[in-house]
Amino acid sequence: MNDNGTNTAMNASPNLLAPASDLKRRYRTDKWFQRIGLGAIALSLAFIALLFFHIVREGHSAFVRANIMLDIDFAEKHFVKENLAAADYTALVKQALTEAFPEVVDRRDKRQLFSLLSSGAAYQLRDMVLANPRLIGTRQQVWLPADDDVDMLQKGKIDRNLPEENRRINDRQLSWLDTLASQGRLETQFNTAFFTGGDSREPELAGVLGAVKGTMLTLAITLMLSFPVGVAAAIYLEEFAPQNRWTDLIEVNINNLAAVPSIIFGLLGLAVFINFFGLPRSTPIVGGLVLALLTLPTIIIAGRAALKSVPPSIREAALGIGASKMQTVVHHVLPLALPGMLTGTIIGMAHALGETAPLLMIGMVAFIADVPGSIGDPAAVLPVQIYLWADSPERGFTEKTSAAIIILLAFLMTMNSLAIYLRKRFEIKW
Amino acid sequence: MNVSHLVAAAGLTILMAGPAMAARDYISIVGSSTVYPFATVVAEQYGKSSGAKTPKIESTGTGGGFKLFCGGVGVDHPDISNASRAIKESEMKACADNGVKEIVEVKIGYDGIVLANAKAAPEFKVSRKDIFLALAKEVPDPKDPAKLIANPYKTWKEINAELPDSKIEVLGPPPTSGTRDAFVELVMEVGAEKIDSLKAMKKADAKAFAKVFQTIREDGAYVEAGENDNLIVQKLQANPKAMGIFGFSFLDQNADVIKGSVIDGKGPSYEAIADGSYPVSRPLFFYVKKAHVEVIPGIKGFLAEFTNDKAWGKDGYLADKGLIAMPDAERKQMAEVVSKLTPMAMK
Amino acid sequence: MTEQTFPLYGGKAASLQERLGDASPQERKTVGTPFVEEPRMTCRDVDVFYGGKQAISKVSIDIGRNQVLAMIGPSGCGKSTFLRCLNRMNDTVGACRVEGEIRLDGIDIYDPSVDVVPLRARVGMVFQKPNPFPKSIYDNVAYGPRIHGLTKDKNELDEIVETSLHKAGLWEEVKDRLREPGTGLSGGQQQRLCIARAIAVSPEVILMDEPCSALDPIATAKVEELIAELRTQYSIVIVTHAMQQASRVSQRTAYFHLGDLIEVGPTERIFTNPRHKLTEDYITGRFG
Repeated sequence: MNDNGTNTAMNASPNLLAPASDLKRRYRTDKWFQRIGLGAIALSLAFIALLFFHIVREGHSAFVRANIMLDIDFAEKHFVKENLAAADYTALVKQALTEAFPEVVDRRDKRQLFSLLSSGAAYQLRDMVLANPRLIGTRQQVWLPADDDVDMLQKGKIDRNLPEENRRINDRQLSWLDTLASQGRLETQFNTAFFTGGDSREPELAGVLGAVKGTMLTLAITLMLSFPVGVAAAIYLEEFAPQNRWTDLIEVNINNLAAVPSIIFGLLGLAVFINFFGLPRSTPIVGGLVLALLTLPTIIIAGRAALKSVPPSIREAALGIGASKMQTVVHHVLPLALPGMLTGTIIGMAHALGETAPLLMIGMVAFIADVPGSIGDPAAVLPVQIYLWADSPERGFTEKTSAAIIILLAFLMTMNSLAIYLRKRFEIKW
Repeated sequence: MNVSHLVAAAGLTILMAGPAMAARDYISIVGSSTVYPFATVVAEQYGKSSGAKTPKIESTGTGGGFKLFCGGVGVDHPDISNASRAIKESEMKACADNGVKEIVEVKIGYDGIVLANAKAAPEFKVSRKDIFLALAKEVPDPKDPAKLIANPYKTWKEINAELPDSKIEVLGPPPTSGTRDAFVELVMEVGAEKIDSLKAMKKADAKAFAKVFQTIREDGAYVEAGENDNLIVQKLQANPKAMGIFGFSFLDQNADVIKGSVIDGKGPSYEAIADGSYPVSRPLFFYVKKAHVEVIPGIKGFLAEFTNDKAWGKDGYLADKGLIAMPDAERKQMAEVVSKLTPMAMK
Repeated sequence: MTEQTFPLYGGKAASLQERLGDASPQERKTVGTPFVEEPRMTCRDVDVFYGGKQAISKVSIDIGRNQVLAMIGPSGCGKSTFLRCLNRMNDTVGACRVEGEIRLDGIDIYDPSVDVVPLRARVGMVFQKPNPFPKSIYDNVAYGPRIHGLTKDKNELDEIVETSLHKAGLWEEVKDRLREPGTGLSGGQQQRLCIARAIAVSPEVILMDEPCSALDPIATAKVEELIAELRTQYSIVIVTHAMQQASRVSQRTAYFHLGDLIEVGPTERIFTNPRHKLTEDYITGRFG
């Protein structure tokens, strides 16, 4: 050995100033590898940028809405004191429109005129009166939602230069809209309804609040179940369980479970929670339970990895001064593993956030207009809302779909930031 | 991090959910995705105008809807099932077996299925026979009509000299869709019957005939575009040579970018579907569980809203959404069925 | 390399089992003076198995009061394994099995009725790599007294922390930054913090597993000084690779070789006049 080594060194001591050609080749390989890596990163960033750009371009217009200002005469004759809700608010809208365009008299033309406003206009007036009965007897200028076709026209998604028969807005309606616009009575304004409303079949009235709240309730259930159970399972398997064939079997099965298609969990939820326990369909409680099952394997696997990465010297130190097994885990190992566990949990939750397939089986893919108040109310979640809107025939839902995706992404980013914040807070450096 | 607190909170939440399960104060509707856009509008209108809870509507498909609907009587089971076809005998039997004895059948109107292409593309005037020849997996050999061969047609012109010389490329629904069922029944079957050799075959061997008209070609000329009809509309805009198959409401909402083909001499207009002259149309229904009407609040109100002329009438808001209204007499008759809640005869 | 290691056995690397089979009883018998008067701990015929492999065979030795016992020997000779038997740290290794008898003040520590928690409070341990908890200096030292409930109030705890740090010779260096993380100290300070942590629960025996191997010479010297001071109050067992260290800090030295305790005796005698050929070979640097 020794002899050999000396000989080689003497025969070919590398020249520092003119390195051999194979050295250059080695550097070239290094460089190529770096370039390929950089290229891969650039490519994935470009795809993400493209995705974001596309979604924002498609969806940003959903945050504004075409509104029409009308002079509404809340004349007392329309109202009966006892039941303000029963008044004919559509008549108020129609009357105001007729006043604005007195030249329209033909019944057919009137129908076209009235169709410029959303069916939600009357409900908006009703809510105004219910909130403030003193409006009765006054005359108010009110911004009311325009019909989705008007909205699309305002946003340039209907081409006004097309032949009349190819447009959903005809020439007369166009001229009325131009009149309104010239009077400053037609404007695109910030679309509050999108953030405060539940689902609707009218694109101009549809909002994400129902889905956002449904998502929050569902994920809250998921988190409350899967995090403690997952962490406890990970701790047991990693720190306490004996190493034998049973624990091996359990480990293999947990890993398999993480790869099971999510719809299977939906079937399981349907069979167990709905058919056996009789929990109500389409509710966040069932959705949360199903998604908890779905995220458990992820959390357990991440939790075990986090526990494994805690250096054994910390365990020895604690055991060495007489901490019990449980004290060692709770006082020393768990705090160090927690950031990793949180990351795993957030990955699991993000996974759950994007799921629709298992929810299909338990009836959460449904039209639910009311904003859910509790985990026992029927609710949709954001991905389901996106799916339903994407499948709606009205043109206005195209931008709503993208806007809901923006909300979903915002949700995801909030969750991730929270995870990073928590991780930073719990992270202990040593 | 206090794990035991979290566990306690989770347990508490589950306990609190208890009372919410006892009763149901909203209507539960399941069923056809074709009826879904109409039923949801009615549900929303009903919820807003009555102040009651808005009915919950799941789009499960007609068959899936009946499966849930016929599961039994009680708050765990839906009250109403939407359908893009009449209930089958086997489904009625399943209902009866589970104690769902009285069902009210309500026809709500018609839906047309259209073959459409981009506005920029030439207008198609096809017969159902042409469509069959374009889309069936096996067609009679032009030289020897008694023999079936794999579909040889590549362009529309090869089928019918009057059609454009463009490649056959049709985007349509997958086999799970009710629209596909209706399309096969209303177009492919009728088209096949127009061919003499197949007509003879139907008499001789109905099963083999059914296989011929039900099997759509798989060589790329027919593209299954998923259940999302919006996607088909967008693809048609991008590819003017392609044709798409979907419900009339999508044509109605997107008339500025796509146009319907004339089938057997009739274009898919509202009027043509309403008077029955457009050949590819089907009735739409919903079915009400009579036992639930008095138990679940709001069913009567919802039915009244649906069968109001301002909803399902010729100028109603459902017509705006693309539902083809029934003739006045039929509507009147149906409204009576609903107001009296006359159950259908169980076979 | 390997050929040099076992000159006594025909120039051939031999597994423990093989050699045990071949060797005569004389060769396996411990020479010197393994037993002392009034021992703190007594070990008799201790065998340790890892799975099917025997790591320690028939070791009998006493650990005296207020003295330092150094355990030396080539790598893999079983000295660390044996050390870890003394406070049952080997319990955490599932496949490890200990036979024979180890008594602390007359009580068999492997008796099923003995709880390891109080045992480890009485037999403390300092590890090879300094391993303070990622907590403050104060909390590091206070952890043991807290979990064992040794103090009634905060003042008492403060006192224990201060005394322990004093004893570990660290007080002057850290008294102004007790709330700072223990992991921020230098390696030598960290190891002394670990010693302070071990003595905070007032153990009777302190086991040290190569406590200076990760430290520089100056830090090593400080720890050695500390060991010499601690001897007045505790029994100390130290595993070390450095023979100089053994000769500097210990009163008795035990030489292990491939799972056997070869020779035990007063440190001075072992290093000046080893009786066993293997011991002599080792301390004269023939292998190791």
